[in-house]
Amino acid sequence: MLHTLPIQLLTALLGLPFMAFGLLFGSGNRSLAGWVAVCTTLLGLGISLYALPTPPHTQIWSTDWIHFQQLTVRLEFRLDAIGKMMLVLVHGVALLVQLYSLSYMHDDARKGRYFAYLQLFVGAMLGIILAGNLVILYAFWELVGLASLLLIGFWYDRPAAAAAAKKAFLMNRIGDAAFLLGILMTYLNTGSFDFGTAPLPTIAGVCLFMGCVAKSAQFPLLTWLPDAMEGPTPVSALLHAATMVAAGIFLLARIHPMLSPDALLTITLVGTLTTVWAGFSALFQSDIKRVLAFSTISQLGLMVAAMGTGNVGGALFHLLTHAFFKAGLFLAAGSVIHAVHTQDMHQMGGLRKALPHTYLTYLICAAALAGVPLLSGFLSKEAILGGAFGWADERGWLARVVPITLLLSSGLTAVYMARQVRLIFFGQPTNTTVLSPHEPDWLMRGPVWLLTILSVGFWFSLNPLSAHSSWVVQAIGQTLPEGGPVWLAPVSIVLVGLGGWLGFRLREPAADSQLAQASQQYGYLDQAYQRIITGPTLWLASLVTRTDRRVVDGVVDGIGLGTVMLAHLIRFLDRFGVDGLVNGAGKVAMGVGQLTRSVQGGRIQTYIATALAVVILVLWLLL
Amino acid sequence: MNLLSLLIFIPLVGALVVALVPGERPALFRGIALAVTVIEVLLSALAYWQYVPGNPDYQLLEQADWITLPLGSLGVASIDYLVGVDGISLPLVILSAVVMLVGVVSSWTITQRTKAYFSLYLLLTGTIMGCFLALDFFLFFLFFEFMLLPMYFLIGLWGGPRREYASIKFFLYTLAGSVLILLVMISLYLSVMDPVSTAINAGLIELAGDFTADVRQLLQAQLANGQLNPSLIVHTFDWRYMADGGNYLPGSFLSGAGEVLIGGMPSRMLAFWAVFLGFAIKLPIVPFHTWLPDAHVEAPTPVSVVLAGVLLKIGGYGFIRVAWGLFPDAGAEYATTLAGLGTLTIVYGGLNALAQYDLKKMIAYSSVSHMGFVLLGVASITAEGINGAVYQMVSHGILSAMLFLLTGVLYDRTHDRRIDSYRGLMTPMPQYATLTAIAFFASLGLPGFPGFIGELFTLMGSYQSVYLPGWITAVSTLGIILAAAYFLWTLQRMFFGTTWVRSQSTLANQTDVEPLADLTARERLMLIPLALIALSIGLFPNLIFDLTNSTVARWLLAFAVE
Repeated sequence: MLHTLPIQLLTALLGLPFMAFGLLFGSGNRSLAGWVAVCTTLLGLGISLYALPTPPHTQIWSTDWIHFQQLTVRLEFRLDAIGKMMLVLVHGVALLVQLYSLSYMHDDARKGRYFAYLQLFVGAMLGIILAGNLVILYAFWELVGLASLLLIGFWYDRPAAAAAAKKAFLMNRIGDAAFLLGILMTYLNTGSFDFGTAPLPTIAGVCLFMGCVAKSAQFPLLTWLPDAMEGPTPVSALLHAATMVAAGIFLLARIHPMLSPDALLTITLVGTLTTVWAGFSALFQSDIKRVLAFSTISQLGLMVAAMGTGNVGGALFHLLTHAFFKAGLFLAAGSVIHAVHTQDMHQMGGLRKALPHTYLTYLICAAALAGVPLLSGFLSKEAILGGAFGWADERGWLARVVPITLLLSSGLTAVYMARQVRLIFFGQPTNTTVLSPHEPDWLMRGPVWLLTILSVGFWFSLNPLSAHSSWVVQAIGQTLPEGGPVWLAPVSIVLVGLGGWLGFRLREPAADSQLAQASQQYGYLDQAYQRIITGPTLWLASLVTRTDRRVVDGVVDGIGLGTVMLAHLIRFLDRFGVDGLVNGAGKVAMGVGQLTRSVQGGRIQTYIATALAVVILVLWLLL
Repeated sequence: MNLLSLLIFIPLVGALVVALVPGERPALFRGIALAVTVIEVLLSALAYWQYVPGNPDYQLLEQADWITLPLGSLGVASIDYLVGVDGISLPLVILSAVVMLVGVVSSWTITQRTKAYFSLYLLLTGTIMGCFLALDFFLFFLFFEFMLLPMYFLIGLWGGPRREYASIKFFLYTLAGSVLILLVMISLYLSVMDPVSTAINAGLIELAGDFTADVRQLLQAQLANGQLNPSLIVHTFDWRYMADGGNYLPGSFLSGAGEVLIGGMPSRMLAFWAVFLGFAIKLPIVPFHTWLPDAHVEAPTPVSVVLAGVLLKIGGYGFIRVAWGLFPDAGAEYATTLAGLGTLTIVYGGLNALAQYDLKKMIAYSSVSHMGFVLLGVASITAEGINGAVYQMVSHGILSAMLFLLTGVLYDRTHDRRIDSYRGLMTPMPQYATLTAIAFFASLGLPGFPGFIGELFTLMGSYQSVYLPGWITAVSTLGIILAAAYFLWTLQRMFFGTTWVRSQSTLANQTDVEPLADLTARERLMLIPLALIALSIGLFPNLIFDLTNSTVARWLLAFAVE
């Protein structure tokens, strides 16, 4: 069945979520709201599946949006193989998350608003996927940021949530400002906003990449994501694990041909550093969601590094597999939180008996994340690591630091995930005995199970140990790089086993342990921001305000005061100087008159003598 | 009397009527003001409808001889009543009409001395329209100066506790700018001839209608070669003639050759800086901006709305029309410095906004920052930059009007504008919070709202400009980060968290509105249409660009010659 997607369906695809947003925005806490949202997404999923078998060529819809003189910004949308995969992914996960939310948010008084925001997110995310040029992409990119802010701060009356929402948006703004500059550089270099095919100067590529750095929480703009866990847990699953944060990876796939070798190297290094940094930070967190958040950052780093090494296929493949098991993990974590009413893993323990379904799903998804064979995560990680080793082989021994670091940090994943499973599900129950935790209803369990099932490697590749023949990779029109040493698979399996064992046996560190604190504070990155950026900016702001008040207004008021004083001085001079002079002149004239009158009374000789005296006096004064 | 003249004179007549009706009759005065401003909106819509967008020329012209005075060997003095619109002024005229109408609705809360208030308000409306419509420099200057008077009294009489300081400061600052503009205006007048009247005087043509391009070339050649008898030359204030370099008298003070030096600087450059400074105070540009926060904080809400929504735009309009429009050589010469001032304004204003504790002052400084983008766009001398600058002015006009109205809503309820007096306003005032959030996000440049387009195009212009180095654009993007910072921080502090209001704020409540009651119907009536206008020009930017584009293209031709 080969066909193209008619424009009406594209409009429906993009328009439906926004319409649902408008409809649900003021709908209060009506239960129907959730179902409206679910149906909207279901409809979208239907269209996406219908679009799936369209021919592999890229379909473009375009119309003029802004134009004057030589410049035209087109309202342009495009659908290609990668986009189709993303469409199905976003709709699929969004559908499951919304089903889950029906139960999870059942008692919330503002659930209409909640589903409205979710729909806004879905619409904006679809916009990113379908955007046909950089300006349109940027527009939806910002809109996704708005949806993220609204959802993180959904419980706005919690100060921590409000602060986290602001932080997320602001950090993204920093990346987006650079992204915007990158777009302007693209325009200057190519004369259009289209996704180019030739490399741009490195600086432009790096600027474009900054958008990804913020949205996909790469070093150094990563600290917003752990804080974003203040949002409702299904939101964390959808936005901050499966889809929104993956937008950065998607962006890299779109702009990959425009990146110069140096830009790619930068991207590789940033991704690698992020992977390690986040892996280390996840080690000793005590909040169940924060561990997952850091694991997300770490996996995103892996994808970014894969992009940098030219392995677009591997990165996108990992994006896809990661979306399912990470969403599964978050939703399962939501079930745990739902059952025990805490997010602190140290207050949990022994939950595997009380929550058997949740335990099993969590275990499988965690294993997929850690890279246990037969599960999807193993396949995609091997694809990335293999590509990275191949990349390093072409670049000499120093470049091997990158794949080895990536390999070790995926061992790290096994450590912290095993630790998490141990803390939650094994050991003795601590605080939770009073609550008698129980499994949630099937509306929540179903989506988790479905995501867990989708974490099995079989669905993605018939060969459970290699993704090279994977139909998914072929379907998105990519190939995985050959290369990669033969020992890679066995070594990584051993590493995962070792890491898992370590995580299970490892004792919790003492509270004052330097290492543990460094991990919990994620390398003191937030403190560094406070010291390097936030603090100085606020200081500068107050300095500028004082300058305004003292210096600028000082000068202005000074000029004003000076003028008034001058005016007073002139008044004084007028009264005593000019007026004095005038009056004085009058008096002098009168005096002289009297004098001359007396003189006139005398004789002619007196005249002459006087005249002579005056002349002599004048001459004497002048000479 | 044509459409544009009606736009100017109906409010002036309205002002007179309000002033002449005896006694205090608030309802009547409000009604008259409302009726006049509604008519203004309709008339401006009619102007929009009659305007031909593809035609870059001034349209809907009306001209009348006003003063003609033969001065012997000094030539002939002539001042015209000349009004018209082009793509640069028309969007601003429509913007003014809309903002003035919203201002009247917002003035419902004014209960003291309504006769004087509405009379001055209508006078202000007429003079603002005059500013944007006049094409004769003298006429423009007349309106420009006359605008100060109602503004001074509106702040000084209906303002807050420090109103006298603020109004005097506003008045003197602007007046200082006007003096500079006046000097340049007179110099221009002495340097420029009116080719049509001069041609008639010189016997080249019989009637004004016979004036063709050939005649102009002949006449300008005669002028350049000194073959024209000085007593035949008719001097003019007409901007259309001032914009043509061929009409400058050779050897005159502002002739294009730049042979007159003052302190080692060509007189044209000096004149440019003088007129730039005059309008820079109005926009305002750092460091000539400190009148603005004071004026805003003390002004009553509707006056703030008009001040931010419309008055500042006269500065940007003056840049395009006079400073750059009549001195293109200087605009190109000093592009980097000028754009640098724009960048400084963007960043400095943004930082200042971040440090404010008073909501209104925060918004005032955000205005300063956003006006920096206008200067940046103009200084870039590119199609993107100039179109973007005009767009940014319209966008900011709508959004700042909204922001100041929202501040007023809160002030009416509690008489307290300090940001730290509130927490969690979202819960008691959801509609208010939602509209504030919309206004904030629109102002910080969320796509779909006009702030995004304005910033994008001014930045695009500055980045593309052959006159400007790349770092100017890079530093200017800091402005959009700062905007997000101050707006979101305010949103977080005032609207999120558990509801809490400083107790003395609620005690100070003196109006009939319940403390922290949500929006009234009248308030919604002002705010929602503005939000919709913002959304529509944000989604369809060509609503503005279609008007500006052709005029800007022709405007840029003056720079192509350089």
